[in-house]
Amino acid sequence: MEYVNPEGLRVDGRRPMEMRQIRAEIGAVSKADGSAIFEMGNTKVIAAVYGPREVQNRSQQMSDQALVRCEYSMANFSTGDRMRKPKGDRRSTEISLVIRQTMEACILTHLMPRSQIDIYVQVLQADGGTRSACINAATLALADAGIPMRDLVTSCSAGYLNSTPLLDLNYVEDSAGGPDVTVGILPKLDKVTLLQMDSKLPVDILENVMQLATEGCKAIANYIREILLENTKQLEYRRGS
Amino acid sequence: MVGLSLGEQFFIQGGIAQDLRCDGRKRLSYRPIYVQTGVIPQANGSAKVRIGDTEVIASVKAELGKPSLMQPDKGKVSIHIDCSSTAEPAFEGRGADWLSADLSNALQRCLLGAKSGAGAGIDCSSLVVVQGKICWDLYIDGLVVSSDGNLLDALGAAIKAALSNTGIPKVQIAAGASSDEKPEVEVSDEEFLQFDTSGVPVIVTLTKVGKHYIVDATSEEESQMSSAVSISINRQGYICGVTKRGGMGLDPSVILDMVSVAKLVSEQLINKLDSEIASAEAEDES
Amino acid sequence: MLHNKLFPKKTRGGKIIRQLREHYLRDDIYCGAPFCTVCDSSGARLSESASTILVVDTNVVLNQIDLLENPAIDDVVVLSIVLEEVKNKNLSVYNRIRAICDNSMRKFCVFSNEYHRDTYVKDMRGETKNDRNDRAIRVAAQWYQKHLGGAVKVLLITNDKENKRKASEEGICAETVESYVKSLDRPDLLDLLVRPSSEDVDMEEVEDLRPSKRKVIYSEHKPMSEITSGLHRGIYHQGKLRVNRYNPFEAYVGSESIGDEIIIYGRSNMNRAFDGDIVAVELLPQDQWKEEKSLSIAGEDGDEDEDVHLAPNSADVAPRTIPQQCSTGEVNAGSCRPCGCIVGIIKRNWHSYCGSLEPMPMPGGSGGVAHALFVSKDRRIPKIRIQTRQLENLLDKRIIVSVDSWDRQSRYPSGHYVRTIGEIGDRDTESEVVLIENDINSRPFSSQVLACLPPLPWSVTSEDLSIPFRQDLRHLRVFSVDPPGCKDIDDALHCYALRSIYFLGYYFVSNISPSCRAAYSHLYIADVTNFVFPGTPLDDEASQRGTSVYLVERRIDMLPKPLTEDVCSLRSDVERLAFSVIWEMTPEADIISTRYTKSVIKSAAALSYVEAQARMDDSRLMDPVTTDLRNMNSLAKKMRLRRIERGALTLASAEVKFQIDTETHDPLDIGMYQIREANQMVEEFMLAANVSVAQQILKSFPLCSLLRRHPTPTREMLEPLLRVAAAVGLNLDVSSSKALADSLDHAVGDDPYFNKLIRILATRCMSQAVYFCSGDLSPPEYQHYGLATPLYTHFTSPIRRYADVIVHRLLAASLGISKLPPVFQDRLQLTSIADNLNYRHRNAQMAGRASVELHTLIYFRKRPTDTEARIVKIRSNGFFVFVPKYGIEGPVYLTTRAEKGSGEWYVDEQEQKIKKMDGSLSYSILQTVQIHMEVVEPQPNRPKLQLTLI
Repeated sequence: MEYVNPEGLRVDGRRPMEMRQIRAEIGAVSKADGSAIFEMGNTKVIAAVYGPREVQNRSQQMSDQALVRCEYSMANFSTGDRMRKPKGDRRSTEISLVIRQTMEACILTHLMPRSQIDIYVQVLQADGGTRSACINAATLALADAGIPMRDLVTSCSAGYLNSTPLLDLNYVEDSAGGPDVTVGILPKLDKVTLLQMDSKLPVDILENVMQLATEGCKAIANYIREILLENTKQLEYRRGS
Repeated sequence: MVGLSLGEQFFIQGGIAQDLRCDGRKRLSYRPIYVQTGVIPQANGSAKVRIGDTEVIASVKAELGKPSLMQPDKGKVSIHIDCSSTAEPAFEGRGADWLSADLSNALQRCLLGAKSGAGAGIDCSSLVVVQGKICWDLYIDGLVVSSDGNLLDALGAAIKAALSNTGIPKVQIAAGASSDEKPEVEVSDEEFLQFDTSGVPVIVTLTKVGKHYIVDATSEEESQMSSAVSISINRQGYICGVTKRGGMGLDPSVILDMVSVAKLVSEQLINKLDSEIASAEAEDES
Repeated sequence: MLHNKLFPKKTRGGKIIRQLREHYLRDDIYCGAPFCTVCDSSGARLSESASTILVVDTNVVLNQIDLLENPAIDDVVVLSIVLEEVKNKNLSVYNRIRAICDNSMRKFCVFSNEYHRDTYVKDMRGETKNDRNDRAIRVAAQWYQKHLGGAVKVLLITNDKENKRKASEEGICAETVESYVKSLDRPDLLDLLVRPSSEDVDMEEVEDLRPSKRKVIYSEHKPMSEITSGLHRGIYHQGKLRVNRYNPFEAYVGSESIGDEIIIYGRSNMNRAFDGDIVAVELLPQDQWKEEKSLSIAGEDGDEDEDVHLAPNSADVAPRTIPQQCSTGEVNAGSCRPCGCIVGIIKRNWHSYCGSLEPMPMPGGSGGVAHALFVSKDRRIPKIRIQTRQLENLLDKRIIVSVDSWDRQSRYPSGHYVRTIGEIGDRDTESEVVLIENDINSRPFSSQVLACLPPLPWSVTSEDLSIPFRQDLRHLRVFSVDPPGCKDIDDALHCYALRSIYFLGYYFVSNISPSCRAAYSHLYIADVTNFVFPGTPLDDEASQRGTSVYLVERRIDMLPKPLTEDVCSLRSDVERLAFSVIWEMTPEADIISTRYTKSVIKSAAALSYVEAQARMDDSRLMDPVTTDLRNMNSLAKKMRLRRIERGALTLASAEVKFQIDTETHDPLDIGMYQIREANQMVEEFMLAANVSVAQQILKSFPLCSLLRRHPTPTREMLEPLLRVAAAVGLNLDVSSSKALADSLDHAVGDDPYFNKLIRILATRCMSQAVYFCSGDLSPPEYQHYGLATPLYTHFTSPIRRYADVIVHRLLAASLGISKLPPVFQDRLQLTSIADNLNYRHRNAQMAGRASVELHTLIYFRKRPTDTEARIVKIRSNGFFVFVPKYGIEGPVYLTTRAEKGSGEWYVDEQEQKIKKMDGSLSYSILQTVQIHMEVVEPQPNRPKLQLTLI
């Protein structure tokens, strides 16, 4: 099947180097300490952060740093086929672990010993790139909760189909069986915190694709910064200063 | 869960006794309700309902299946609720299982009627395609995104809104099929059957705090309740289901009184919901 | 720049799933006109001075693709929605329109109207998909008009009345194809137009179908939904239609649901299906199943008789036989094959066909439209009715016609003329017809391909020598043995013997004697992969062509001439790059070790088979080259003996060679190909190399090697051979290849030619060897029956076979010399490459045979001859003979067509004889007869070779 037609357009009309439309919103779940909705194209994710709060499970308490926990779950209706088991299956466990490790790398956990930070990510609609959307949403939610972080973490995926590197794969392109590289970076510090890939890819092309994904991450970071600035302005306005 | 000091508890109970709740409402008034339809374009119908800080999403998916042997002329509906851990940290992992099951059962009771299919709020016979062989299976999924009390009402409203947003594709049965086999169906891309939701009931939960009952309790108020009764009433004023929760026993006359109060409140609620749904659909179309 | 629109689609797969796709609208899609002031015209494809720009709709592309391919039509905008619709309906037309759009010489521009902000059309409620697409086309045409302003006129070309009407309402200029072409005032283009079939044209516009012919001849095709439900329920069966090449009214549909083949007899049962279509068949009631008639030679309905052909050399080419029962002509209900009739066509396989017009009287007056019947060269295709204005021009020409439609009232399908090839009977025209029929690309190499060649004149540079994995073997005495006049030399040989270790160093000895410790034999193959790199246009072109095609008078190269005849060819006295196989053998030709390396060599001599044989035979010659030849020969003989012990089959082929007059290129003489010892010597080493390389590459790449296999013939395939053997009292053991080889060796009769004849008959029963990817089959299936080896591949001729190029790359990767190209990791692509190679190989063979038949006809045109022939097959009205001297086979009739069935002769199946009723004369199989061969022309412009009994 042709994923990039001879005119240079992909299945949905984007060019190979273009990302899908991003939309983010802060403060979706009012009860949580921090929350955000993040949309990448048709992939829609809600993240809620509860913490820092007291550790629920005494045995897990760490005396010198905060405990970061994360849970990823997909809604029943998020995929085309109805899912039977939203939580607890292997893919969810793996992604929960991945998000946890990524966020842990950027949270300044030593500032909050003996406490617990919970990040809950719920996928409302899945259309490829859920992992990246979850990490971006979690970043926003953490920022909204006021948890001290080294830097924002942004993530984006890229692939290689029809001999062209493609940025931000959607579900159709993802299921084509080509390689799928997910990259998570700390944009200001320019460090990579997450790198995952499946399928086969020659080594010289990997560099190109990774580079492309990193640029996508930087673009998302810019957008997130704007959103946060906007949000802060709103808060200031409401405070009346 | 919320932890309330003694003073706060007295405040809440006292306020309710004096018809003045913490956020300024009367005992029988609802928080502002916002309805948005079509939030999940992948599903046949969907809606998001926000009552105060409680936010729930409901989606309806239709799939072709075989009707049950006992009711060959009716389609099947199944309701499943999931509580997302974004709503409460306690909902993490299996923590929300009991609540989800509780809510699912309550909703099924209220909306689906008896085992024989009689008295169901949702008219299943409109779901049948070929008697005895093919029918539509509706899968209604609810997701609690944010929880601040009164989940059942919100879910009921969301399901009603989602059902009114549902479009079931028209099917054409291929001719010449033999009688004992599954006939071929062609699903049309374009035409939809709008689901008839005038018979779908709404749920009104009355929470008894002290001697009085309130409608639409927040989670703080719910923590003070002695018992709660959820009644589902449809437009004609008929009761479609009753659920009682909470540990304290209730005098039967109290229950009857609650029911009549619920009937009163439900009329307002149904009107409010219908207008909200209509405006949401109109917004969706534009 | 981006705008988001969501739209749900529904797909079925047991469940109903709603699919959500994003659809971004852009504003950076350019109109493609170079004079446009608004758009970026760097990629503009339309011409500068265009006065009219055409926008075509889907049906125009689907039906009139031949017209669009004509260079007279230019400045066309093809919308992306049109391309998509064409792709869904007909992939081959899609490929063609894409090729036109990609061709930089043609002014076709592709406009992505679906993604352009202004031309995107949203689905409306109640609109069918087709209507919506038509609306999109109209909106796009309107946009173009507005965008380009008054500079040009934008014309929408459509044959759809509704579309045209709506377009005029919206202010778009619209015309039908006919009116546009008429306005161009080019009568030759009018011929390329396709008439719409009578089904979608209003009644008043139907012309010229006389009332008497309007009766319905064929039954209606069932609609698709009924067919699918019928397939589900098992009343209909699906399969591919294969028409009997020798009897176009008999066809077979292989059906999995029955497990047997369904026979379709007769024109009305075939119901307008073509060879290669995927059809749905309904079985006829059992009492209508015809029992197998003992096949006669002629076909039904007054069609042509069988022709004289080259003797077939495999089962694929031989006429199909339905296995007959041993009992004599009794009607057994159980022995019938299921018969059926076609009720619907699931997928059409129409394309263009070569042939000529049936001779007919000229219509009164010229310049008018005449109806003619086109007869294709391929007998499986029915006659096609076309309309043309140039009837007198075309009557004696070979033309190409393509099919458009076949409705129920018409006896023949309707088509249109595409182009002329040349005059009938002209040798070059006929050769071109052979090439077109066999899908052989004989166009000159494009400039992009030629750009991949190394700079000429080329010679080995010091850079080549300094590469570590290339051994410098220029000091070795290497020679090559090839057919005379061969310029593309693939292979060269070398051999020397090692004395025993008492002596220092190596000695060149005159004979390989038992005192020698070992012998080294080298085989050098041209190092083609050093010049042809994967992914280049040169490689793509070679991969498409698959193999060089050898016609009698010319060769169609797979690689450009500078490579085949100079740079890669291992000519004598020049340094060349090679890929070598080095065997260390005992004097008994047992292989001790094998080594592979890339090398540089300098060939000492390029001999022909005749020369090499003469040298070996001349005992006076003792020069080094001759000695080497003799050593190699003795090794080869031992290798051959061992191979035969293992069960390799030596089959006889009936290859003929032509001697061509250098000036007129007419054949001067025709004779059987002589096999000498020198041929066999080279052959042995080639086989050994192929086997060794196969083992090496399979070891390294068990899942993606390209190998060659020969499936064991089934009992059914050997049936004809066994019947003939039984008739002449011969007992053939066909349990294994060794048993068969032994039986063939012992099959000696009174006359010396008997053995050869039996071998020729055996050859006919074998199937062709095929290429395959090793990951697709299990190891026991890798076997090559004919050569009796468990593994085989092609390695030794990379100049003329693409399979060898692939094997070279595999071998180089297995030795660590170079990386394996990424295509090998894609198993599906490898399989399709192997399939293409098999297809091209088969076509090249058929083309070669057709060319030989053509030249045979030319040769015998002026020389009626009497000669000896052997009977090889008995039929009810005559028999088939094989003429050993010329290698051809053809029918000899005992009863003419008029007397068919008169009962003068009858066939004895058991003894394989045909006897006269009164017992006076009989002819038995393998009997020698005298025949007369002459070229006759029963119909004008259709010469054929006729054999008659003397």
